[in-house]
Amino acid sequence: MNKLLVSDIIDIDEGSYELNCKSKEITINIHKTVNLYLINEEVEKININLNNNSILNIYKYDEEIKNDLKVIINQNNNSKINYYASFVNRKNSNLVILNNIKGNDNYSNINIRNVSEDGNSTIIIESFLESKTINNEAIENLKGITNGGLVHIEPNIEVSSNEVVANHFTTIGGLSNDAIFYLMGKGIKKEMAKKILLKGFKFSNMDEYIKNKCGVI
Amino acid sequence: MLEVKDLSLYIDDLLLFNNINLQVKSGEVHVFMGKNGVGKSSIAKALIGDNNYKVKGQIIYNKEDITNLNIYERSKRGIYLINQNPMAIEGVTNAEMLRVALSEKLQKNIDIFSFSKELNQICEALELNPSFLHRDINVGCSGGERKKIELLHMWVLKPSLIILDEIDSGLDVDALKIVGKSLKKYLEEYKPGVIIITHSKSLIDFFPNCYVHLFSDHELLKSGDKSLALEILNKGFKEISNTFVISKNDKNE
Repeated sequence: MNKLLVSDIIDIDEGSYELNCKSKEITINIHKTVNLYLINEEVEKININLNNNSILNIYKYDEEIKNDLKVIINQNNNSKINYYASFVNRKNSNLVILNNIKGNDNYSNINIRNVSEDGNSTIIIESFLESKTINNEAIENLKGITNGGLVHIEPNIEVSSNEVVANHFTTIGGLSNDAIFYLMGKGIKKEMAKKILLKGFKFSNMDEYIKNKCGVI
Repeated sequence: MLEVKDLSLYIDDLLLFNNINLQVKSGEVHVFMGKNGVGKSSIAKALIGDNNYKVKGQIIYNKEDITNLNIYERSKRGIYLINQNPMAIEGVTNAEMLRVALSEKLQKNIDIFSFSKELNQICEALELNPSFLHRDINVGCSGGERKKIELLHMWVLKPSLIILDEIDSGLDVDALKIVGKSLKKYLEEYKPGVIIITHSKSLIDFFPNCYVHLFSDHELLKSGDKSLALEILNKGFKEISNTFVISKNDKNE
């Protein structure tokens, strides 16, 4: 895996990269097909511009998020973004993602997992689909687990166009007692069962590279 | 092995069963039958320590009173339930769960090479694609695959009392054959006590000898050998229950 140092603005044609952010705000311009990984990066603002006919898969993992984060995504025509993020907060934290879908034939999938261990975690996801656009799809899949802290999620999709597919799923809750019971029935102690379930949840939307880097597999 | 003494079972103060007595010895197969909703699965859950059920009486396992032990403690002693709808757990693979459970059971780290070899051999015997080992537990699996995965867990964890809650439901003929053979082989190799909850004779047919118990309206109505299962399946619960209740009343008079 190539590593990229990003100080402010970077143009990426294609390939897979682990980003190392050197400033609090970065701008990423995507031209073709790109996979990006951000692991425990203390960045506060990410601007993502998807050029026409580009694809971005982005994975952001934070074992403990240290700051608020705002992500602004701009999609024009025939672009695709899968934004996967998973983080644990042990104090108040705010995540805001704004996705502006301005043209046609775009796909956006925003998939977030959050374990709140202390403080309040606020997650606001807003997808805007502009008027007179066609054949766009926006998905927001957001799950939070309250494990000592609180989670507040606002999944918003604002549609000004007549021809769009839009879905959002949000779940907030504690660890499943049924799942804990199931694992205890296999001879696993309650505390260990919780630990396994939390780890599973945190990495459930991450890919093999992140899992390897974090020692999960 | 398992002795249930004067067991009464309640959920939210509602009586499900009154004064059940039962003994399951090593190597024995016991079949629980009864109409839908009579509470057979509740007995299974109570036996493994589901604290949603209130119990009176005693559950003795290998001469130890386990009535007040939780599911983990009972599992540690070798009691294992395969549910009729095994749950799916996102983010936890079969291999990972089994590695943790086995190292907890054996109280030592697992040799990954021999562990992996054993898992693959079990998968082969169950005609289960080994890719399931590294997939999340029961996620995206059919009913039949879930039952096989639970059997995989059983073969790895080697319990001494197995409770099978309608493991035969939803299985196609081929899958039923694999599951039945696998259970029979496990019984021959490890001599566990086995409790089967079922509505059909297809799984019972794999075991030449078994004890059959008919549950009805808060009680264990009748126990017998395999012929009782055939009688129940031929006559139906209603007829056989009525016959038994009438003859019991005549006897009392």
